[in-house]
Amino acid sequence: MGFIILIARILVFLSMSVLTLYAIRHYWFAWTRLRLRKAKDTMELVGFVNPTLTVLVPMHNEEKVAADILQALADNDYDKSKLEVIPLNDRSSDGTAAIINQFAAAYPFIKPHHRREGRGGKPAALAEITGRLTSEIVLLFDADYVPGKGMLKMLVAPFADPEIGAVMGRVVPYNTGDSLLSGLLSLERASGYQGAQQARYNLGFTAQFGGTVGGVRRKALEAVGGWNPDSLTEDTDLTFALLLSGWRTAYVNRAECYEEVPQQWSVRRRQLMRWVMGHTACLHDYWPDIVRAKFLTAREKIECFFLLGMYWTAPWLVIGWIASLVLFFTIEAHYVPILMIAMTLVGYQLFANQSNFLEMGSALLLDGNRKRVLLMPLNLLNFFANIGATCHAMAQFYWARITGGKGADWDKTRRTRAAAAGGAGSFGLSAPREKAREE
Amino acid sequence: MAFIVFSILFIGLLYSHFSLAHMVWTQARGRNSAELDMDYVRIEDYFGQSFRGKVEEWLKLPYEGSRTGAMRVIDRGVEKVIVAGKGMFPEGRRERLAMILEDDFVCGPDCHFERELMVSSNVHVGHGTQLQALACDGSAKLEKGVTVRRWLDVAGPLEMQADCRVISKVCSQHSIYFGPGSETLSLFAPEIETEGRFESLSQSVSEPREVLLIPHAANITEPSHGYDPKLLYSMGGGSYLYNGSLKLTAPLHVRAPLVVKGDVETMEGSMIEADMKVKGCVKIGAMSMIRANLVSDGDMELGQGVFFQRVLHAGGGILLKYGVRGLGQTAVVVYASKMLTVESNVVVRGKLASGDKVKAISSPLAWLKHPAGDI
Repeated sequence: MGFIILIARILVFLSMSVLTLYAIRHYWFAWTRLRLRKAKDTMELVGFVNPTLTVLVPMHNEEKVAADILQALADNDYDKSKLEVIPLNDRSSDGTAAIINQFAAAYPFIKPHHRREGRGGKPAALAEITGRLTSEIVLLFDADYVPGKGMLKMLVAPFADPEIGAVMGRVVPYNTGDSLLSGLLSLERASGYQGAQQARYNLGFTAQFGGTVGGVRRKALEAVGGWNPDSLTEDTDLTFALLLSGWRTAYVNRAECYEEVPQQWSVRRRQLMRWVMGHTACLHDYWPDIVRAKFLTAREKIECFFLLGMYWTAPWLVIGWIASLVLFFTIEAHYVPILMIAMTLVGYQLFANQSNFLEMGSALLLDGNRKRVLLMPLNLLNFFANIGATCHAMAQFYWARITGGKGADWDKTRRTRAAAAGGAGSFGLSAPREKAREE
Repeated sequence: MAFIVFSILFIGLLYSHFSLAHMVWTQARGRNSAELDMDYVRIEDYFGQSFRGKVEEWLKLPYEGSRTGAMRVIDRGVEKVIVAGKGMFPEGRRERLAMILEDDFVCGPDCHFERELMVSSNVHVGHGTQLQALACDGSAKLEKGVTVRRWLDVAGPLEMQADCRVISKVCSQHSIYFGPGSETLSLFAPEIETEGRFESLSQSVSEPREVLLIPHAANITEPSHGYDPKLLYSMGGGSYLYNGSLKLTAPLHVRAPLVVKGDVETMEGSMIEADMKVKGCVKIGAMSMIRANLVSDGDMELGQGVFFQRVLHAGGGILLKYGVRGLGQTAVVVYASKMLTVESNVVVRGKLASGDKVKAISSPLAWLKHPAGDI
């Protein structure tokens, strides 16, 4: 019995310690954003840095959204003589190929690449095309994203700095009113980008490349061996591969792009599980190199571990709860309820969306969304859903490692955008806008 | 009964925790985000263009007075706008209305114009005058100590004499003379110059006996002139990282993209041919040539007569010393997160901008080397 109590005490202590360290980290980020409102940015360079540019748009059965993004890219203000847009049609079986071909016929800088065989998934498709690219910079957009007119110039501006190997823009959900989940995910995106990404960048840490609304210097990509087709989160993998070779990822908060966030809890759960497994795989792949890295300071190394280990917070919270329950049935029951409540409150406030309430609230205030701050208590739903999905993904990941089994496959997030008539400034096109007008 | 009351109270208390969130969600439900402007494109003369667009709209509104008369007044409801031909204002004049002038605008010293001015011809502003904002289709001259509370947008040449102050942006489609002691947030023009421009200043230096090449030749293994070859690492893709500071005693020639983890001080006559990033502070020696982008996390100083062709970007302040030239095939840009200080005889084709302020200062060389210095 004494041994069980000892183990439970240690686990509670470790759980509280991990949660406290993450709490401090997120309060630091929130404080940084509130205190230092002026962001570190390269907006003054926009329009003065104009390298040759390829925009890749991986697509797999994207007929609902393909025309929107291709039209948006056709309308952008980047010098077309230096631009090529490659819709990367990855074995689509719907009308995606036809839409892409219509755009290619209308705009000569749109040069489609149709994959009909080979390994499926975005990382594999990217790995296949990268060797054929010749431009200096490669930007990436998922098919459900809609970049604004001036976005490409904003995203290439940080590459004036030769240390920058990759760049990340900001993701803003547009379907915030379609479901409670999408409304809550808009809070998560605000805290993740306006809060954490900008704070980390301001503090001198590398930003995290998110695999879309961003890009990479082609030579840097080649230097680290290209995209990792075996990774579920090729973006995180690339961020750390670049960092360990001396390259940094820049963050451009003003390069905002609409995305469609999941509206159903089941879709969100699958998306999160993929992120958790991919992210945790990166932790296991890169931790020895991070420890040995010559170009990183101790402070940067610690932050790398915080970033890669962030999904471990959910299992630690559950472990803490279970250990507290064990203690509850022992002689130490008098303080256990307080401990459990404290842990729940800290956990809830801290990890409802991988950020704490102060950080989320600060981000919303900086965005001018004061009213949305009031939505935060409903994140309790997201909190429990995230904990469940994260623990499930962790269990699946480690079980696969122990048994030597196959981990999860790359899983495309389901689109829900309705095809509509479309028009200038609206989503839901099905053909190039000029062509649609003629017809 | 007690249990039911307790349960209702408990549920009520629990709901009160979420009531505001519920209310907000009920209002937001079904309404998707419209916070992004999808047509946003960054342009340097946005304020001037936007104001000119507004003026066009105002001129379509009903007015008092004859269209061919000397003056008419447009009533916008919230305020009135004066439309006139030539505007001549004596010393100390105070004007509270926005004005559209279809000819020249001239004002004496210490005037105060509280609203925007749109001038179709040339502008001459007397010393000590305060303006709100000015859009001008001709040339403009601001005498000493003029303050513009917002922006300045001029189609022709713009002359800002000493100690002028523009709180926001200054743009000209032709050229800007930025007098000593003047300050603003950003300047954009095909050519920006400070006082004492002197083109005959020699850009050449005597050929150095030894030049430090980065990346170094394969046979270089020992440290020399402040450079340790063992600290240079390949990042791949033809880029290099120097894991230390470079305080050099010989001119530097950078031939491949380079990241320096510490500070950099180069000798005069250095050549930077590839993009360079300095994590600390950087001082470029006099008469050097920078043909690529130069970025630093700390302060940046360009010595006398340095010639640059692309982007200078610093996380700290920047000092452009006497005779610096920023002349590229396309427009160049200099941006400092802190203060950008520009000495005399500096010419830049493009943009000077700062997160704090851009300030012109007078250097002793301005009159020593200026032709007028012969007097």
